[in-house]
Amino acid sequence: MKLRRREALQLGAVAGAGVALTGCSAIARRFVHTQPIDSVRLPAGDVSKETRLINRVSYGPIPGEVARIRKIGAENYLTEQLHPKDNEPDILSTRLASLEALQINASELGDQPEEEITRQLQMATLLYAVYSPHQLRERMVEFWTNHFNIYSRKGEIAYDQPTDLLQVLRTNALGKFPDLLRTSAHSPAMLQYLDNQVNRKKDTKGAGANENYARELLELHTLGVHGGYTQKDVQEVARCLTGWTVEDRFMHARGTFRFDADSHDTGAKTVLGIKIAAGHGVEDGDKVLDIVSRHPMTAKFVSYKICRFFLGDGADAWSDKMAEIYLKTGGDITQMLRPMLLSAELVSGPPVMKRPYDYSVSALRALNVDTNGDLALHHHLERMGMPLYQWPMPDGYPDRTSAWTGSLLARWNFAFALTTSGIHGTDIRLSDVLEPKKSGYNTNFDNLYASIFGEDPASDAAAEMRERLKSHREPERLAALLISSPEFQWR
Amino acid sequence: MGTERLPLGCDGTGRPLEGGPNIVSRPLHGDPISIHPSRRAFLLGTALSVVGWMNTRNSALADVVVNGKGDAPKKDIFISVFMRGGADGLNLVVPTFEDAYYRKRPSINVASPKNMKVDAAARAVDLDGRWALHPMMAPLQPLFKEGKLAIVHACGSGDQSRSHFEAMLAMERGLATEESGSASGWVGRHLDSTDHSGSSPLRAVAFSNVMPDLLRGATDATALNSLSDFKLALPQGMPERDLHAALKNLYNTGSDAVSIAGRETLAVLDTLNRIDPDDYAPANGAVYPKDSQFATGLKQVACMIRGNVGLEVACLDHRGPYLWDTHVAQGTVFGAQAGDLAAGLAAFVKDMGSEMGRITLVAMTEFGRRLQENSGIGTDHGRGGVMFVTGGGTHGGKVHGTWPGLEDRQLDEVGDLRVTTDYRNVLSEIVQLRLKNNHIDKVFPDFTPQPVGVVS
Repeated sequence: MKLRRREALQLGAVAGAGVALTGCSAIARRFVHTQPIDSVRLPAGDVSKETRLINRVSYGPIPGEVARIRKIGAENYLTEQLHPKDNEPDILSTRLASLEALQINASELGDQPEEEITRQLQMATLLYAVYSPHQLRERMVEFWTNHFNIYSRKGEIAYDQPTDLLQVLRTNALGKFPDLLRTSAHSPAMLQYLDNQVNRKKDTKGAGANENYARELLELHTLGVHGGYTQKDVQEVARCLTGWTVEDRFMHARGTFRFDADSHDTGAKTVLGIKIAAGHGVEDGDKVLDIVSRHPMTAKFVSYKICRFFLGDGADAWSDKMAEIYLKTGGDITQMLRPMLLSAELVSGPPVMKRPYDYSVSALRALNVDTNGDLALHHHLERMGMPLYQWPMPDGYPDRTSAWTGSLLARWNFAFALTTSGIHGTDIRLSDVLEPKKSGYNTNFDNLYASIFGEDPASDAAAEMRERLKSHREPERLAALLISSPEFQWR
Repeated sequence: MGTERLPLGCDGTGRPLEGGPNIVSRPLHGDPISIHPSRRAFLLGTALSVVGWMNTRNSALADVVVNGKGDAPKKDIFISVFMRGGADGLNLVVPTFEDAYYRKRPSINVASPKNMKVDAAARAVDLDGRWALHPMMAPLQPLFKEGKLAIVHACGSGDQSRSHFEAMLAMERGLATEESGSASGWVGRHLDSTDHSGSSPLRAVAFSNVMPDLLRGATDATALNSLSDFKLALPQGMPERDLHAALKNLYNTGSDAVSIAGRETLAVLDTLNRIDPDDYAPANGAVYPKDSQFATGLKQVACMIRGNVGLEVACLDHRGPYLWDTHVAQGTVFGAQAGDLAAGLAAFVKDMGSEMGRITLVAMTEFGRRLQENSGIGTDHGRGGVMFVTGGGTHGGKVHGTWPGLEDRQLDEVGDLRVTTDYRNVLSEIVQLRLKNNHIDKVFPDFTPQPVGVVS
């Protein structure tokens, strides 16, 4: 592949001071070192507006999707995505129906091992992402799953995690942020994950409140670490949330929120400069959620993170505008997203590297797979470094490019396993993509290229790729190499 | 092969297109810079990759030139162990002489070695009559007594946020606090500021799913979870050579972050072909604990060191079976954490034997934990933590640093152990004296190191 003119120019601009790129020279080496690797970008050219839009909004096109968007137009596509219906295709509903963990209450799941609950949770998540036409909702579910990260292997959290997924993350994915925050703060899985279930008022031995949830609530869920709070605020918020716990009494339904008044610190508190009078109970915590939900720093922090998720390094172009909408609409996620998703920056901004999860889902969609979403796929995600619900720390999987460039080998192995029936329960249907009557290299290449990249195989980029791969005539191998290519790692 | 010299294309990183041993002895050449790698160079690169691969297969380990030029000062291999989650230094290395420690931790303290009211197995193991190790850290006691293990207490960064992520970033970037300074990692800057002409593609390895910030900015760092798993899974009927060549063909010329990383990955695969981690037999009767991710990682580091693949830096995380973030029921999980750390370290040191003379290993954490236990019988995020140092030139058998004390007036305003030794003082000594890097201003900018005396 020759570097395209545009790319060379773009890189020259990044290098500044007119330092020319490439070549085994000390200058080039210094350039590469002083510029964080994240800022080296693929060219924006050779990708159509529709494909870019689909890649940025969804987990990538399924065969026929690009043509459909061309027909209905970007605005109608986004309206459809921003206002998803509850219906799902039969293939998805049927497969979800067999997953018991998502159908019944946490209190009834106790006779199954934790691994089984987590397995079903992972399967459901993946099946939704691959098969649901409401792709934007699925991407926002992924976003909020990371924002309100919970590690399924801590304690007995696994039993409460399906409820968290359904009632916190999925229900509110395109709803209002304050509702999302409030349901999360009442979620038994979250309360256990961040130890608030043992957050109690100071005891006679002097042991104080447990700060874990209070801190992450401010640092990761709302204001952000530079949001202007102090260690004292963390301690005061922890006191407000004393007694917010999980039902565990005999003969009571487990897996529900419970306010334990006996453990609550009823003294006066001050949170972010706002006085909370003594003598109250569960209202103290409600008040905290109210204060942080309305806080401009929350609007800013949440908006920036959403923009990074969709725009990568181009986030700055939209995050302030989105924060304004947050404040104006009371954190209405749909309204916050709409103008950003309709903006020129969405399709013209710098490419964003797919994390292993979106990489895998986009490959599964591009090849129109028939999958049960089961463990074999999740083992590949694990080797790529992104098994679902398995990030131990509360910050969620990293979003920076440099964290993920080490996963390429595992991605290549996934690509070859996928196309050679190497993933149990997941079959590709190349016959849907190829033309049965014509089977020459060029025809096969063109059809695979169009399906995998959602792009016209008549482009220069396709011609270059066609030339590169011409010694690989088997369609399966060709498909694997296209999915392994650097180009397919970006969206 | 070994001395074979062939012209090579360039890849924009300033390194030859491929790794493998055949490039190690070749000086980098200052070709005229060209924006467009020529078609010819591209084809040549492809052809060479096959030749290089075949040569690699047949080469003996002895062919590999380790650590660059022969006349350069011999530098240590550096191993960073990051205890993620805020390891409780006060229960790892116990100040048995502090009444306040026992008063403020009525439920989760570690009994003094002299406390005969407590089962021997629950008592701390003595270090020097004042300090004692958590009983599960007992495997490290002989190392300390033999003067091979140094401990620095009440150390840390200037971070006041008590956020895991801020505090880790500060330390990984080598800064006072996260808010100031460079976005690259200090280990990355160390690698960048030492001579790395002809260095191995396995110069810096992180045993991790994701690249840690420590190595950020290093163009030649690799993150991998397991040496055994780090290989191409070959589809039926496709020889490795073909697959390798096909991938090289896709990744040859791009200047984006993914293409660069793809070339690194292919070079690493070449080099790793020469060692067999599954057949690695530890020396000196060392036994690495099974089912420990940390010990498995250390064993692979040992395998790479013995295999002479050109390793200069290895970064491991210690998360342990339960994580270090012990907000709740610390007593029930902390022993397993400490045991996992100590057993892994002890096995590694034993395995390496006299090789430890050219290794420096540091174990550190983002912060210590609060003195006062909390309502969940655990501890919240604090300030002063602990560091462990072992390897060549280590002044062991001593708890270094200035102990600020645990009485209320001696703690900070939140009730945390004060930081009296900036973690960069310890690392600076290691960088200068053991890693032979004099560019300390580049590794830790805007910082004037004070001597601690941990290594020489």
